[in-house]
Amino acid sequence: MSQTLSHEDLLKLVDGCLGQGKVVAGPTLVKPDLCAYAALRASDQLVLKDFIHPANSIKGFFFPRHEPICVYRLNGNDVELEDVDPPKTEQIIIGVRPCDAAALPILDHVFNWDYADKFYNERRENTTVVTLACTDYDDNCFCTSVGLGPAAEKGSDAMLLPLGDGGYEVRCFTDKGKALFEGKTTPSDKTGSASEGPARKIDVKWIEEALEDDYENPAWKTISLRCLGCGACAYNCPTCHCFDIVDEGDAAGGLRVKNWDSCQFGQFTVHASGHNPRANQGQRQRQRIQHKFRIYPEKFNEILCTGCGACTRNCPVALGVLNTLEALRAAAAPDTSEVG
Amino acid sequence: MTSDIQEQLRQTCRRLLEEEKVDVVIGYGQSTADGPAYPVFITAPQDVDRLVWNDRCFNNLTAYLTRDEVKSLGKPAIVVKGCDDRALVVLEQESQINRDEIVVIGVACEGVGEPRAAKCAACDVHMPRTADETLGEVPNGPADLEAAYAELDAFMAQSPEERMAYWRGEFERCVKCYACREVCPMCYCNRCIVDKNRPTVIDTSAHVKGNLAWHVTRAFHQAGRCVGCDECTRVCPAGINLRLLNLSLARAADKHFDYRAGMDKEAAPVIGAYREEDKEDFIL
Repeated sequence: MSQTLSHEDLLKLVDGCLGQGKVVAGPTLVKPDLCAYAALRASDQLVLKDFIHPANSIKGFFFPRHEPICVYRLNGNDVELEDVDPPKTEQIIIGVRPCDAAALPILDHVFNWDYADKFYNERRENTTVVTLACTDYDDNCFCTSVGLGPAAEKGSDAMLLPLGDGGYEVRCFTDKGKALFEGKTTPSDKTGSASEGPARKIDVKWIEEALEDDYENPAWKTISLRCLGCGACAYNCPTCHCFDIVDEGDAAGGLRVKNWDSCQFGQFTVHASGHNPRANQGQRQRQRIQHKFRIYPEKFNEILCTGCGACTRNCPVALGVLNTLEALRAAAAPDTSEVG
Repeated sequence: MTSDIQEQLRQTCRRLLEEEKVDVVIGYGQSTADGPAYPVFITAPQDVDRLVWNDRCFNNLTAYLTRDEVKSLGKPAIVVKGCDDRALVVLEQESQINRDEIVVIGVACEGVGEPRAAKCAACDVHMPRTADETLGEVPNGPADLEAAYAELDAFMAQSPEERMAYWRGEFERCVKCYACREVCPMCYCNRCIVDKNRPTVIDTSAHVKGNLAWHVTRAFHQAGRCVGCDECTRVCPAGINLRLLNLSLARAADKHFDYRAGMDKEAAPVIGAYREEDKEDFIL
């Protein structure tokens, strides 16, 4: 016996949560031709069909692009410091692609490794993630290559699987998920379905081994020639989590803030001396791939990539992780001159 | 038509590489027929069949001419559309490129994108004007500036409060990935003002204040220089309509100084030249 919910009842649930002052977010059309995850004002903004993957990821609801962590005031020679408390607002994110939800348990490691990040953890605790199983994929998806899939449960509190009649089968995996849907669903003999998963595949085992002794590989230079060094890949990536801590204020005081940063920016690794250990884009691309497929797995036993394809879809020059890895593999094969 | 141009393009580039006239061709490649076109760097004559030309060739490749990684490849040939060609003119005016050291291959362009990109609707540079070799032929439309600024006119018909609300909504989505800057041929500064941190000039935070500061500062730096290739608008992951800002700059230069960036190499750059009769009444 499965549990099902009609689309109308799902929207009522959303409006009910909004009415209780909770933040409800999900895929929505921020522009007529642009679907992205954003906070909803009303349930009719929620979009649960006709998209492969929203332009961005959900990480901003846990690790915002800009977050004050401390307030400081200067009084003569004294400095007053005041902690900023993480927000306590309950959040519900509905219609999350499984590849985006799967990033959360992966990120939990780094935000609780040598330091427990209270901002991230508090939001994690206060957020319920309801995924929407994928019924389609595009040429940028590769979730099955990194151990996930169109109905992967990792990171989900509950999952909606489209029934084909506009309704959903609801599967609850955690207490948060059960609490959200308790008393809302109807027992049924219908079951939802998901797609078989993307057509393009990569061999992550090969990649991890190939990256082992790869620092001087000349292929990085050619692969990265077209990379412009923006942060469109990293900032829309569900797992990229680098940040910069800066003080913003004036002579009277200000804020210490945590802002997103990206290893693709030339300034990311510039030393105070002016020396830059990653002086060119090839080295920066190598770092991004190394971190995702070798360094993070070594440290936390998890690949820092969920195969969502957002890096490729958002790349101004159609690069992204999948094309980079394919080019790396092609460059390693002796019978090809395919570069750049 | 486009397939003829593609064949001519490959022949031209093969010849240039074989005769060692250039070391690298900066052009477009494509992995699958329905996939996106992207920049490729061809250094060997046997690889020229990787070059494509079709209406998915969006990138303004001139942005690569000022990049160290590409400069290190040697003397380039570059494939340009008419709008990209305007960027070459500005880069030369601003002493960023030595035009004698670049072979420019112009391609006749009927427009990019399906449906056509907004910039193509009022295009009057279907044929590149400064190329060393031009492939194909498309009649240049007349300069229909009214059509070019139609989107801006509709926007400016709104009240200042409505316009500000619009921009707040647009900039609210900005995450400061700087894709707009990196694709822009005119954003060639070695150190962008937003990257200056001793002291910080513009808040690095992607909040409304920091985002407004970034986009307005960039717009000022682009005044009279932006050639309207619209690449910043195309690549923005947040879909911010930077085109509207750029149109506003273009019209100010056009209306008050009778100047369009990248149209005439001999014209004194609007920001770099001063005339006593220059108008000041449009400045806030």
